[in-house]
Amino acid sequence: MSSLIKSAKITQLSLKYNPVLVTAVRNHWNKDYKPGPYPRTEEEKLKAAERYGLHPSEYKLYPNDGTGWGDYPKLPEVGADSKDPYYPWDNPELKRNFNEPMHAEFDLMREDRYNVSARLRYSLRTQWLQFLGVMFGTFGIYCIFEKFKMFHPLVPRQYPIDGKKHYTFETE
Amino acid sequence: MGAAFGYFPESGFNLYFRPEVTPGPDEEPTFDPCLGFENGRKERVMVATEEQMRSAKIPPSERDYCAHHLLKFMACRKENWPWVVNCEHEKHVYATCKYDDYVIRMKEYERERRLRVREQKNKEIEAA
Repeated sequence: MSSLIKSAKITQLSLKYNPVLVTAVRNHWNKDYKPGPYPRTEEEKLKAAERYGLHPSEYKLYPNDGTGWGDYPKLPEVGADSKDPYYPWDNPELKRNFNEPMHAEFDLMREDRYNVSARLRYSLRTQWLQFLGVMFGTFGIYCIFEKFKMFHPLVPRQYPIDGKKHYTFETE
Repeated sequence: MGAAFGYFPESGFNLYFRPEVTPGPDEEPTFDPCLGFENGRKERVMVATEEQMRSAKIPPSERDYCAHHLLKFMACRKENWPWVVNCEHEKHVYATCKYDDYVIRMKEYERERRLRVREQKNKEIEAA
């Protein structure tokens, strides 16, 4: 029992001297969730690239148009489905390596979401042509045959009503 | 299926391109039914009576010259239910009657068409 109380005390002490551990719980936010301000100078750029663990040549920025991405790097759009499944990823579930920067829209490009970089079997132009070809082709055939309504070459059904007489093709 | 892709489309094209000699699907025969039959034709006989059909609740669309076979077939089904396969004979008789009816209507249509063609030809000869 005393050991249990001791361990609780250790937890309390560690939280007291490392308040950052409870920041996320208490405030639902910490400063590292937010990218830094948009880098203006070359020096700031280099600093930001280092912060995100990128080579300066790989470090590209989102336009500073008020969307709020700040200095967050604009990474190439590669969906998780397009990544090599046989590469020994550190984190195979997400196909991601340790400390690899995440794309800003990472939550939309996972394996269970949309594959932004899919290589299409047929180009979008071909697909549209196929779709419109089928649709307008079918409509064209419909328009043509709308004029030529086929029917069973028969006289209407014969009923013995209203004193009407009908005949077989046998002679008397 | 075979008929639908065989001679059915032709009826549509004929009606569009030669409406003067092609009877439409809803047109009754216009010529004298006994034209060309020296001794006349046998009349079709209605066996089932109005009372029978009314009591059996036969829908108006089925009150044609095969109604008496339909009456027998439905009566047999009612007696044998659920072993309706016992009524295969009645069913076959009814289907044969319907088939013959179809053939008569087909022949009647073709007769009407040929008489129209003949009339057209006669007109052309007169005009010439």
